[in-house]
Amino acid sequence: MLWTDKYRPQELSEVVGNKKEIKIITDWVDEWKKGNPQIPLLLVGPPGIGKTTLAQIIAKEFSEYIELNASDKRSQDVIKNTIGESSSSRSLFGDEYKLIILDEVDGIHGTNDRGGVKAIGEIIKSSHHPMILIANDFYSKRLQSIKPKCQVIKMKKSRWNSISALLRKIAIAEGVDANPQALKEIAVKSQGDVRSAINTLQALADKDTTLEVADVEGMVTKDTRSDIFNAITGVLKSKTPAHVKEALWVEEDPTLVMEYIAENIPREYKKKDEIKKAYNYISKADVYFGRTQVSRNYGYWKYATDFMGIGVSNSKHETYKKFTKIQTPTIFGLMSRNRGKRNLRDAIADKMFDKMHVSRRVAVSMFPYLEIMFQNDELAWEISDFLELEEDEIKRFRKKKIPKKVIAKMEKQKEEMRVEERDKRAEELKNQMMNVIPEVEEPAEDELPFEIPGIDESPEDDVVEKPLVEETLEPAVEEEIEEEPPKEEKKEKKKTDKQVDLFSF
Amino acid sequence: MSGPWVEKYRPQKLEDIVGQKQIVTRLEKYVGEQSMPNLMFTGPAGVGKTTTALALVKSILGEYWRQNFLELNASDARGIDTVRDRIKNFCRLKPVGAPFRIIFLDEVDNMTKDAQHALRREMEMYTKTASFILSCNYSSKIIDPIQSRCAIFRFAPLKGEEIKERLQFICENEGFEASDEGLETIVYFAEGDMRKAVNVLQAAASEGETITEESIYEVISKAKPQDIGNMINKALMGDFMGARNILRETMVLQGTSGEDMVTQIYQDVSKRVIEGKMDASIYMDLIEAIAECDFRIREGANPRIQLEALLTQFL
Repeated sequence: MLWTDKYRPQELSEVVGNKKEIKIITDWVDEWKKGNPQIPLLLVGPPGIGKTTLAQIIAKEFSEYIELNASDKRSQDVIKNTIGESSSSRSLFGDEYKLIILDEVDGIHGTNDRGGVKAIGEIIKSSHHPMILIANDFYSKRLQSIKPKCQVIKMKKSRWNSISALLRKIAIAEGVDANPQALKEIAVKSQGDVRSAINTLQALADKDTTLEVADVEGMVTKDTRSDIFNAITGVLKSKTPAHVKEALWVEEDPTLVMEYIAENIPREYKKKDEIKKAYNYISKADVYFGRTQVSRNYGYWKYATDFMGIGVSNSKHETYKKFTKIQTPTIFGLMSRNRGKRNLRDAIADKMFDKMHVSRRVAVSMFPYLEIMFQNDELAWEISDFLELEEDEIKRFRKKKIPKKVIAKMEKQKEEMRVEERDKRAEELKNQMMNVIPEVEEPAEDELPFEIPGIDESPEDDVVEKPLVEETLEPAVEEEIEEEPPKEEKKEKKKTDKQVDLFSF
Repeated sequence: MSGPWVEKYRPQKLEDIVGQKQIVTRLEKYVGEQSMPNLMFTGPAGVGKTTTALALVKSILGEYWRQNFLELNASDARGIDTVRDRIKNFCRLKPVGAPFRIIFLDEVDNMTKDAQHALRREMEMYTKTASFILSCNYSSKIIDPIQSRCAIFRFAPLKGEEIKERLQFICENEGFEASDEGLETIVYFAEGDMRKAVNVLQAAASEGETITEESIYEVISKAKPQDIGNMINKALMGDFMGARNILRETMVLQGTSGEDMVTQIYQDVSKRVIEGKMDASIYMDLIEAIAECDFRIREGANPRIQLEALLTQFL
């Protein structure tokens, strides 16, 4: 029997760490028991820290529970049939709640589990039962639409000393003699993953001998980087084809390995012709990776691997007898350090896509010209208004704020044009009525003159995220022409918007 | 009150489209027949692919074109699944007030091949309700099964005269003086790309009432990535790591594309050899490397890696 199962906590008090989070969960359970329905819990955190265990302990508090995890085929139907039904069909037995546990929610894949995320969203909406969702990656895209509908609980990794204490308990219970230092080593290497720590202990334990630090040191850590680092060292430090080939036998994305080799070529090789030759091989490897992509012929990979392996290793005259630290490609650091800037850039580009029908790539290529145009105060206002840019987005193109005077002037101009436009349209409408032509009016820019049945503006979440600005921008025209109830709401919205503006200055 | 001129002066009707006469004639037939096959528009940037697609959509779908039209960016960062979901949701509904629905998908050549195969299945699935217009720079990057399902239209770069005429029209409309030399300079620089031409014009106009040769040159030099010369100097002096850092920063921070980088590098070394600052034989070696790099990037290699390798040629 796996020790991870044998020693799985049965009570909340036995769970390692996360005391605050557990308190929130027990409160949630208590509320349900009092008959107060709560929104679902979303437990997020790295693997092996007890999320599933927690859910299972809680399950005992309810009359019944259903558990689904990633190994189940989660097409929309499966989810709907197994939990969709039970989630809305309560009340036969009065207050008997069924707990629904949905594990590895971020593992739902678009292709195999069509609409899986959407189905969960729907179930959350319609469910009258307590629900616990479990996921690893807080930033997963698949959680984006689910997060707002749940109470999110971020579970933290366990500390090594609490893991170490747990290991000692298990060792004693199993009659294993272990050096405390060795247990500490296992705990540290597990990087907060209790499950992996217990598994490691079970794999190393031997009833007849004492577990020593040396035994643990031989264990492979969870860190896969050591693999890639060895591979790079093999390529740069060796000139023997057999060694190089063996070194490159790593379970990593080969293009990532290529990035590492390229990064470290000029760090290890010092002669210009060596760098030239080696980088030339890198570029050829890259060409063949590209061709693999295009043709989906993975047979090309072997050439790419030889180019970046033996090719690079053979580009040096002699192996350097110095110690060079293998570096992670700086490009990754550069990209992640500038994630904020890139996100800003993409957000602007997406607005340009909406208004100007240009792809992100084309939009970004226009930025240098926009920077010049934005130095002109009035044009800066016009373009920002046209693209509906926010303040920080405007700042991408000009350092100074657009002067308030200019804003006021431009807004006035815009208002005047709007009034003019409105009068013109009212006139047109009047003429039309007089002529009694029963034809439908040309629809106003972004608006339907009436609802056409059957048109369902995709019920996706991203629609919801659209800012409401569009509505508040051109109300004058429609307010005059249409007499529809939602107008009230719009007015309300406009008012509050103004208030916010006043206060923010 | 207009915002960007590239949008304000985008032709709305097929007959107003600049250049591409044969293509427009053919498309007008589709409008007459009220039906069209799947289309693929291929050609360089700024020659009117999107404009033509939008104009076609408006005339063929008529009044309710907005409700029956879906515009997507194939290289959408949210991934192919999002693209497919949106296509699916859109195609599930019957056209209302129009003969069929149209999906416009830009940058198809930037989709991975797997994504293209997925797209091909979507295209087959909804032939009854929707037609596709695909747009790309290089049709060679599109898998055969998609190409064989489309009528392919190749858009040529616009002629200098056509661009100049349009620029003159805009200047008149906006009330700007533009010298002939100024417009010629834009035309030369734009290389058949109307979007670029109009952007340069508006940028120059934003700086003053009259547009001269000088003001255009000023805009062009302001708009290009600043560090290219510096990067090449570093590489020529043997500081590869320094040059590589500039390259990476330019591409990541400014988002300059690989193709733009190649163009800038080419222009920089050309200037050096013309000014006598670089030996002709060294220059030719570099040109060979630059040309190969250009070709590989367009063929689908990783632009940054290829450019880093190109920099080693300067050592």
